[in-house]
Amino acid sequence: MFLALREMKHAKLRYVLIGFIMILLIWLVLFVSGLAKGLSSDNASSIQNMNADYLVLQQDSDHRLTRSTLSDKNLQDVREYTEEGKATPLGVQMTTITKNGDSKKSDITFFAIDINSMLAPTITEGKMLNHRAAHEVVADRSLQHEGLKLGDEIEDLASGEIFTIVGFTEGQSFSHTPVVYLNFNGWSTISHNRTPNQDVFNTIALNISANKAKQIEKNLPNINVISKDQALQGIPGYKEEQGSLMMMIAFLFVIAAFVLAAFFYVMTIQKMNQFGVLKAIGAKSTYLARTIIFQVVFITIISLLISISLTFGVSFILPDSMPFDLSAQLVIGCSFLFLAVSMIGALLSLYRVSKIDAIEAIGRAA
Amino acid sequence: MENQLLLENISKIYGDGDTSVKVLDDVSLQVKAGEFVAVVGPSGSGKSTFLSITGALLSPTSGRIMIGGKEIHKLSPKKMNQLRLEKIGFVFQSANLIPYLTVQDQLLLISELSGMHNKNAKKRADNLLDRLGLNHRKNHYPESLSGGERQRVAIARAWMNNPDIILADEPTASLDSERGRAVVQMLADEVKLHKKAAIMVTHDKRMLDLCDRVVYIEDGRLSEKQ
Repeated sequence: MFLALREMKHAKLRYVLIGFIMILLIWLVLFVSGLAKGLSSDNASSIQNMNADYLVLQQDSDHRLTRSTLSDKNLQDVREYTEEGKATPLGVQMTTITKNGDSKKSDITFFAIDINSMLAPTITEGKMLNHRAAHEVVADRSLQHEGLKLGDEIEDLASGEIFTIVGFTEGQSFSHTPVVYLNFNGWSTISHNRTPNQDVFNTIALNISANKAKQIEKNLPNINVISKDQALQGIPGYKEEQGSLMMMIAFLFVIAAFVLAAFFYVMTIQKMNQFGVLKAIGAKSTYLARTIIFQVVFITIISLLISISLTFGVSFILPDSMPFDLSAQLVIGCSFLFLAVSMIGALLSLYRVSKIDAIEAIGRAA
Repeated sequence: MENQLLLENISKIYGDGDTSVKVLDDVSLQVKAGEFVAVVGPSGSGKSTFLSITGALLSPTSGRIMIGGKEIHKLSPKKMNQLRLEKIGFVFQSANLIPYLTVQDQLLLISELSGMHNKNAKKRADNLLDRLGLNHRKNHYPESLSGGERQRVAIARAWMNNPDIILADEPTASLDSERGRAVVQMLADEVKLHKKAAIMVTHDKRMLDLCDRVVYIEDGRLSEKQ
């Protein structure tokens, strides 16, 4: 790496400039990735963290939990195929609440569960719902930012029912709203107006294998069995939000590849005569190629290190309410992808170098 | 004395069929160890092609070349590369130094390329620079050297790999006659000192008295007399 290092030392400004562009690009990629991840869990952490593999939906509900309506009959049918405790109903209702006696409104999503099932949330504060009390709820911790505490009463504006918060859980959101858990007694009080004569809910959570899921879908009429991932995509706004961020990230990678490619290509063209001389005095193409690859990798790694520290530095000063979630895994993944992309960018230069003829050095004045 | 360089009936034809051009026509030349030969000719006479073929940059269409007792006209491009590194020292027009290497590194690059980057190489580089009066310029970049100094560095670089022959392509082209003469004198001295063979392609007739032998090239033919 005799040539590579000495050249970079001599032409510092050039390499610092390209490094600077790389730093900004990587920084933006990491930041947007963190934001995408953060928004994704801010949007749908209740589904992501749900202890279930598959969900049963009414046919033609377009993977949307809120569009599906199932009855006890469906539950009985599904349970024929599953082991005890592996299928449990879930009611989903998006609504607006106020703190009792207050006029400030908040959007939330009610999740009606069987509190002894696998869907029961982990309590971080207060106590778990009990089986019978119809007017007790467990809320996601983010409602605390709205000024709600244990023991506060909330009013569901759609039904006019009043509930008391007995506990808080965390990491439970649905379509960017905090989830409020209640039992099926509570559920019937808020859903009674719509379906007076029978108990209905939206979906059945299943803890089963893929084969079993296919079997259920095939044998039972009028239902679809979808995976948790499909359910995520079906949350209103989830696909659109993630899609636009992913497009930005993909573009940034492509831009990085082209910026590096253009930079090194111009540099290589500028140095054609020099490479000719090097080849004439016995340098192999592979040696020159290694020099370029070393420079590309060197610049990329330095830029990555700086950008990663910048990103984590900035994430410390971000406000808590900003959905930003950057895991080490995501950073490592992005870094390797960036290295790969920069190597692809260098390919064009390598091709040119391999085509240089040593004879260029003869009979030429500089 | 033994022939360091032997060219036998070398021809080079570019293109084929009706459009073919014969650049070198049945050229033969022998250069002995310690001999400094000048090749003189007008532009377009085939000087550059002659030098490229002698320097293993180009393969002849027909004929035989031997450098230091080794046949080179049938080698693959990769082997030719290796041969240039080990057996041939080049001095190009206007030096052609690498702009981002210091004078010392220009020389060390050669040993780096041949995978012998060690203390010995450093000592050898120091010796060469000393002999060519460049010691005080050791850590300078080419941009801060004068034309004559650059050409001296190029000569030092050509000697670095202890080659069998030295090929100089118009080494005085970018120098005034006084400096040019000093550079060619230096080249001649080194050839005598190390008993190597050297060929200098030039059109500068003022330098010819420093050479042992002058051959003329015209229309691809080589002759001892003009």
